[in-house]
Amino acid sequence: MRKSYVNNNIKVNQFDALIKITVEMSKYLYPYIREILKSKEDIKENSIIWNDFNKRFIELIKERFNADSMRVKKLLNQSENGEIIIKSLLILSFCISNKGHQKLKNFLYDF
Amino acid sequence: MIQNKLSFHQSSVSLEIIGLPDYSNNENKDQISIISQWKLTIVDKPLIEGKFEHLGPIMDAFYIYSNLLIKNEIPIYQSKLIDIKADNLHIHNIVLKSSKANVKPLVLKIGNSLLSDTINCFDQLNESPKVRIKKTDITYNIPKKLRFGLNNKVKFFNVFIPPFIAICSLILFSSSFIYFYSPFENIEKKELINPE
Repeated sequence: MRKSYVNNNIKVNQFDALIKITVEMSKYLYPYIREILKSKEDIKENSIIWNDFNKRFIELIKERFNADSMRVKKLLNQSENGEIIIKSLLILSFCISNKGHQKLKNFLYDF
Repeated sequence: MIQNKLSFHQSSVSLEIIGLPDYSNNENKDQISIISQWKLTIVDKPLIEGKFEHLGPIMDAFYIYSNLLIKNEIPIYQSKLIDIKADNLHIHNIVLKSSKANVKPLVLKIGNSLLSDTINCFDQLNESPKVRIKKTDITYNIPKKLRFGLNNKVKFFNVFIPPFIAICSLILFSSSFIYFYSPFENIEKKELINPE
């Protein structure tokens, strides 16, 4: 899915480290994640937050991902990407506790 | 006796646990092992409170429901105490049934933000070294789809693994005889020694 043509498998300790970084980032960004989730609950009142987030998300995907891939095209489609984004945000928001890295790992293994 | 009170907060949700330490277990004064009461406060929603035996099933309900929501399963949880159902991906319908007779069930609608706040409050409680929650024996109904899956896994292993091991051991045992003993070769040798 990424633009890179090199397919390197990451090692287990690298995977664990990435999980821990993601959880620490989610802890720090929880108030923002929460606001984005809340904005989608009542889209009429808080559409600005959701639209800004979605716009930036698409910009980053276009910049770093291979836009020719069908899966990436699905992420770029604003009418289809809502569910994926909401579920990803929910996973991050559920994993901000001290043992959040273990929880995030379990979610990813089951995904 | 003065009871201990512990609070866990996450944005718009707070969970209060009231109880006593288990002195027979030599626990500290500020520990809570015997929970007498708990209160879950969600901003702009009615107060949820109950006895100790209700806390475990309600926490389990939230955890199971959140897992179903993420794993693309049908997000429905039903039990004697609590029903949680998704209106859509953003709004969740909670029905809390009272254990007392003639009390109408409490119906709440919460969004994803409040759901994640509640889950995080429960996580804080689970990870707190000051509170020890004993597992309750109250059974709850896992949705049919999930329950079917769990039973299937158990049955599969119980039914297929023992005969599989038996067949493997038979093959291994009999293959050793095939390798060391060949009666035809012996007969041929005897014929060569006594050619009559």
